[in-house]
Amino acid sequence: MNIKKISWLTITYLVLVAFALVYLMPFIRSLVASFMTWEQASKYPPEWIPNPFTLDNYRKLFRLELFPRWILNTSLYAGIIVTGNVIFSSMAGYAFARLRFPGRDALFSALLSLLMIPMFVTLVPNYIIIYKLGLIDNILGLSLLGLTNVSSIFLMRQYFLSISNEIFEAARLDGCGPIKSFFYIALPLAKPALGAIAVYQFLGSWNAFIGPLIFLRSPENFTLPVGLTFAFHRSMWTEYTPIIAGSLVASAPTIILFIVLNKYLIRGIVVTGGKG
Amino acid sequence: MHFSFSSIYEKTKTKELIAGLALVSVAVLLNMVFGYFAMAFAFYLSFFKWDYIGSMKFVGLSNYKIVFEDIIRGIHGAPYLLSPFYTGLKNILIYTAIVVPIQTFLAIVLAAFANQKIKGQQFFKVSYFLPATTSSVIVALIFVWLFMRNGFINYILTHLIPGFQPIDWLNNRNYLLLAIAMVAIWGTSGHFMVSFLAAMQAIPKEIYEAAMLDGAGPIKRFFYITIPMLKPMITYVVVMGLIGALQMFDLAWVMAGANGGPGGAGYTVALDIYNEAFTRIRPGVAAAKSWVLFAIIFTTTYIFQRKYGRAVR
Repeated sequence: MNIKKISWLTITYLVLVAFALVYLMPFIRSLVASFMTWEQASKYPPEWIPNPFTLDNYRKLFRLELFPRWILNTSLYAGIIVTGNVIFSSMAGYAFARLRFPGRDALFSALLSLLMIPMFVTLVPNYIIIYKLGLIDNILGLSLLGLTNVSSIFLMRQYFLSISNEIFEAARLDGCGPIKSFFYIALPLAKPALGAIAVYQFLGSWNAFIGPLIFLRSPENFTLPVGLTFAFHRSMWTEYTPIIAGSLVASAPTIILFIVLNKYLIRGIVVTGGKG
Repeated sequence: MHFSFSSIYEKTKTKELIAGLALVSVAVLLNMVFGYFAMAFAFYLSFFKWDYIGSMKFVGLSNYKIVFEDIIRGIHGAPYLLSPFYTGLKNILIYTAIVVPIQTFLAIVLAAFANQKIKGQQFFKVSYFLPATTSSVIVALIFVWLFMRNGFINYILTHLIPGFQPIDWLNNRNYLLLAIAMVAIWGTSGHFMVSFLAAMQAIPKEIYEAAMLDGAGPIKRFFYITIPMLKPMITYVVVMGLIGALQMFDLAWVMAGANGGPGGAGYTVALDIYNEAFTRIRPGVAAAKSWVLFAIIFTTTYIFQRKYGRAVR
């Protein structure tokens, strides 16, 4: 190894480690501070070792009646969105990829062009629709908007197109109808794609903000992101450390999920395009 | 014999038609209602004066007139409360001009560094991507604390930059938007870095080997091979970045507040649409504003794609 190569490698590591610190530091700093009193967490210069080590921030959070409700609401919302997307996107993706019926391609391109529409255009009308349905301030009403998603349908269609035709032909010759081959052939083969959709939709719904902010009204119906900003803007705590602890609790599921599944997730997000 | 075969054929064809329509029905129905119908309704709504309860009153183009008078007042230097749309527009254009180039550049450079035979590539990938898995609201809440006057960011900057004086980022109208932009760059550049890394790993190795035989160093290889080969991905990332930045809402909502913070320095068009619809209760004006925002996003991304992205849809 020559000097040029070694110095290049050194630069590479310096840059990569420096940026890893930049991206990780807010998480590390919050994690440490969540075990501090606000007095210590707001000290300048910053301190790193909690002294005294306290669980008070987390205790305050869970003593607040609403916080466990927010976790429950967020889980319910994420559960509905994930289930809806897995079911309806696999159905639609299969039909668009594998079945022939008049108007199929026109319908599919009509769905695709919806991707270009900014959500703010449809926001007010959707609010009115949900309002007319009497579903404002209701997790179910909010969920209705996200039950299917064009990018999930697109991903499922691409996946079903990539499966070789022969297996479906063989099933057809054996007298297997289109619905039967969806359940017995397409779905079992689609597990990786369904997993990607499930994880991706979980991240999206768990982190969603604008929808819950607009469609939910009473604090006991809020999801975590909305609830925490509510607590922050209302200054429910004079100290900031419970908000930090709450932020960590709110992001823990997505962070853990990501660390466990990062390989699949990154692949899925590269395909679907991810958040704006 | 012949007859029965064609009847079976007809039967399977009808079966396929029914199955196909049944399987797509829910997805198509929901998207038609919450997508197309909502879009058309927004357009219809933009010609009406309404308060959600009473009857709708046709007002022609006067909602659009409100938007354009707002812009003109803003150009003539009206304070932000008199020209909220203009203020939001000005802010997101500045914000987009800061965020999109920096996040794209950072993402490419980091991907290029990570795309080598090095130990711990997985660790770097995960670290860079982590902010993208966290809700932008949660991220903003954490950064509000980090950006405090006695906060961590001022501490770091005073140590990195000689002579740096601590700034009250979120309460100073000159720095609020910059602080929001910094959080946005932190939150999304790692996500795009992973996209670039995937695209780089798809570039055939032979091209690099040939260039190395010709004596091209890593920097030359980066500019003459990597960048041109990444063009479709760069276009994609810039377009996604533009669409995201021009609709920025969450970060401003937390870091600046619904009113945009001191002097409206953190006000955005998205916040303005929200306020118009739900604070000022003027859904017609909100719809008009959202169509103007759509026009801006559409033209910006269209011009960019026309100029740089022939190969990409």
